Amino acid sequence: MIQIQNASKSFKDTTAVKDLNLEVGKGEIVGLLGANGAGKSTTINMLLGFISPDSGTVTIDQLDTTKKAAEIRKRIGYIPENVNLYPYLSGLENLDYFCRLAGLKYKKHELQEVLNTCGLQPEAHQQKVSGYSKGMRQKVGIAIAYAKKAAVYLLDEPASGLDPLASNELSDLLKKLAAEGATILMASHDIFRVREVCHRIGILKNGTLVKELRSEEVSANELESLYLEYMKN
Amino acid sequence: MWQIIKNEWVYLSRNKTLLVVSSGFVLVLLVAVWLGHRQTQEQQQRYELAQKELRQQWENIDGMNPHGAAHYGTYVFKPAGLLSSLDEGVNNVTGKVLRVEGHVQNEIVYSEASQMQFVSKFGKLKTALLLQYILPLLLLFLAFHSVSSEKQNGRLKLLVLQGAKPSTLVWAKTLSVWSYGMLLLSLTFLVYLLFNGASLNAEVINRSLWFYLSYALYYFVISGLTVLFSARWQNATIALTSMLGIWMLWTIFLPNILLTSVEKWHELPSRNAFQAAMKEDRSKGIDGHNPADDRSKELEDKTLSEYGVDSLSQLPINFDGLVMQADEEYGNQVWDKHFGNLRKVFTQQKQSYQLAGILSPFISLQNASMGFSASDNLHHQEFLAQVEHYRRGFIKTLNDKHAYGGSKTGDWGWEADNDFFKSVPDYEYNSIALNSVFGHYIPDLLLLAGWSLLISLLLGVGTRKMQLI
Repeated sequence: MIQIQNASKSFKDTTAVKDLNLEVGKGEIVGLLGANGAGKSTTINMLLGFISPDSGTVTIDQLDTTKKAAEIRKRIGYIPENVNLYPYLSGLENLDYFCRLAGLKYKKHELQEVLNTCGLQPEAHQQKVSGYSKGMRQKVGIAIAYAKKAAVYLLDEPASGLDPLASNELSDLLKKLAAEGATILMASHDIFRVREVCHRIGILKNGTLVKELRSEEVSANELESLYLEYMKN
Repeated sequence: MWQIIKNEWVYLSRNKTLLVVSSGFVLVLLVAVWLGHRQTQEQQQRYELAQKELRQQWENIDGMNPHGAAHYGTYVFKPAGLLSSLDEGVNNVTGKVLRVEGHVQNEIVYSEASQMQFVSKFGKLKTALLLQYILPLLLLFLAFHSVSSEKQNGRLKLLVLQGAKPSTLVWAKTLSVWSYGMLLLSLTFLVYLLFNGASLNAEVINRSLWFYLSYALYYFVISGLTVLFSARWQNATIALTSMLGIWMLWTIFLPNILLTSVEKWHELPSRNAFQAAMKEDRSKGIDGHNPADDRSKELEDKTLSEYGVDSLSQLPINFDGLVMQADEEYGNQVWDKHFGNLRKVFTQQKQSYQLAGILSPFISLQNASMGFSASDNLHHQEFLAQVEHYRRGFIKTLNDKHAYGGSKTGDWGWEADNDFFKSVPDYEYNSIALNSVFGHYIPDLLLLAGWSLLISLLLGVGTRKMQLI
């Protein structure tokens, strides 16, 4: 479970996050919408333990992300906008390598099963990642987190640049993970995708959570209007 | 850590550009080792042949005045050490042939450099050139983006999230690059062993191991520092530029600047001044109060009284032989004094230059490499000392024959027979055991070890606050 309480973070004179309060429960997908510089990535980096909040607390499963960073990281799966894998390794080799770094040793068929679960076509398993599309790399990225049995998934603009099909596949995958009990926080620009995938949506502006709502409360068009309204004001 | 090292090696083995560069480098390295081996072998064979011919000529002397034979003299060739095919050190500038004769201590001549068509700072294709200059550059180019690229493309975050500690990552990258250097170094040694397998002995193996260790330490310093720069700087270009600057400083500027400074601090006399001082001491006496004529008169009086006769013509021996030996011994004293001073300056220069290894580990590497290859100035001076020792015995044998062989004073036409010339021992080089000179290279090894330790500490401390995002 993700808990952010009154967290603030500034870089020199710029406030990246201000008095942020957010909770994401088990099996829940929460989307953070916001323009560039709204504080989405800073929030994710605080959850990853790469940045400490200046004030407030950021916890995952009641563990402080700064003080217990090593412990927290074992539970987190992180999928950035661009999953940069090793281009000279195949998808299978990449997954194996990242698993081994985490101290996990899987047999080849187990790794293949994970890749299948995450939607990577079997014929792509042995291909070099240098020939992968962005969507395929995102799938391997999720497979790395899945193989790690991550309880919390943090996604930073995961669908950016994906074609509609790949984006749709990603949405299905995230829903599947949530159904299995994963806690998912997703930062994105993509209003429609967030509306479609997430249970709850937060709108960030200048580091402040200006609006929080359940996705069933609004249609995609209403959400867009609301978002634009907040951005203009 | 092992997983990261393994992955780095997969990268090395699958990177086509690197494979081409590595193959090219290995090829050049093999050619250099083979050329070095061939040159050493040919030179040794030529010298052995020449030495044999000279000895034959000497042994064929049938009837010659011993003093005439002292002027006739002989030649000594500096043997090419087995390891000098890897690092020829000062050998190509110091010369290899020395004329041994009475009255004078000649200078060694026929250096390779003096016979080169053109002179280049980097000289010909030599193994040491590749191992000291090119291979570290290769390691540098391999390491400069090793961590920064992980940062730049955001993969570092993924690695850390999977449990890889930044310090482990930096160490693993360092060891991967270093092991690549060690692979090429080991390959060089393997080829060297293949060429020289039959001539190997405990001494050569001992020297080779220290040689290998020196390079291993230096490659670790280069690999570690470059990876550290790559980790500390956000941008790979800055890491590369900084490291190239350091490489140039260490290998080109500092050795030249510091060597020139050391030569200024411990200045050698000019050749003219040195020879003039020798000449003066020889004619006027070491202390300036014992000229040659006085010494000769003193010897005459002493000899006459020893034999209880009044004139030289009454002596049963040839007094000329005694005069020449006395002059020779006096000349030896003069030589010992002046060359002793020179050697003292050489030692001071060497010790000061060794300290320069504090500023540049390359200097320590060069010193150790030449030293363990038996091709530095210290080994050269030891060779000259051996030849001088031989020369003294050689000339004394001839002078003694002249004095006591049966001739009388003034009998310059008297000739020794062939048996005598055959009995004069030939020069035989005693290779210098590393154990006897090892102490001279301890500072270089300690400095290289110190640099490695420093880099290890920096790898630990410098990555604590490494920026991950």
